[in-house]
Amino acid sequence: MIAQLILSALLAAILLYAWTEYRRSPAVAFLTVAIATSGLYFVWMPEHSTQLAELVGIGRGVDLILYVWVCISLVVLLNLHLKLRTQTELITMLARKIAITDAQSRNT
Amino acid sequence: MEVVSRAQVYVVIPAYNEGTVLSRVVTEVKRAGYAVVVVDDGSTDATADHAHAAGAAMIRHPFNLGQGAALQTGIDYALTQPAQFVVTFDADGQHRVSDIPRLIDALIRERADFALGSRFLGQAPNLPPLRRLVLQAATLFTRLTTGLQVTDTHNGLRAMTRRGAAALALRQNRMAHASECLSQIGSSGLRYVEQPVTIEYTAYSLAKGQNLRDAVLILLDLFARRLYR
Repeated sequence: MIAQLILSALLAAILLYAWTEYRRSPAVAFLTVAIATSGLYFVWMPEHSTQLAELVGIGRGVDLILYVWVCISLVVLLNLHLKLRTQTELITMLARKIAITDAQSRNT
Repeated sequence: MEVVSRAQVYVVIPAYNEGTVLSRVVTEVKRAGYAVVVVDDGSTDATADHAHAAGAAMIRHPFNLGQGAALQTGIDYALTQPAQFVVTFDADGQHRVSDIPRLIDALIRERADFALGSRFLGQAPNLPPLRRLVLQAATLFTRLTTGLQVTDTHNGLRAMTRRGAAALALRQNRMAHASECLSQIGSSGLRYVEQPVTIEYTAYSLAKGQNLRDAVLILLDLFARRLYR
């Protein structure tokens, strides 16, 4: 019961985060809401995760949750990597602008 | 055939810690009468001092961004100047100044916007067999992904008209910029030609050049670039 309450509080916090992310990226927000809601469901109905796991041929519900979690983590990592590249491009543009402005004033 | 003033040809040289060789390269290009723009990509040695002393216009990145970023900076700068042609040239001394007028002549003669140097149409003395293999694999990859029938995809010696230069917007900061450049040339619809050039490999340029690990990183960069706008 204690673990269920702690996990529910964490997943509720993720739902709040999804709400704040909606304006920036609705797709990410919807995906996050779907994941957090599914998590909440399986926290309180763990036997259903086992039934679902058996349905897709995995066996134990905990294994299904683990595999899905690994996949989600990889997608999150990729998303962070792409965000980082976008930031790098912005930094490059800024550095280039500064460098060219400096050069124009120095070389004239 | 060459009818333009050499002062209107801007030779862009990206440089990162090339102090020992850069002076000679800049001096040779200047002596031939071309305008030289050195982009110091956040060097920690005396690269900037050497280039400045040799008479190049200097642009300094506040920190190291990569060769692709330095090239784009140099091209952008040349476009703020009265450049009619822009040439990209390596800082490590492996390119020949005598190839520059041939590239410019090819642009004028063929009415093209890009003249791409090719060591495989020209000469590449001392090119190690493994590097030859990597370069040819890269060429095959570029042919398949861009549709451009080029013979040498990672040659830094190329010339372009002002219009051609304005069509480029390199976003690959590191080594994958060469493939990206060809991709942008292909999608620009502008005419390009290949011109035989000589690449002279020295112990110094081989130590600074790309290896097999860089080739893998280039492939990863190109793949990642396709995942976002």
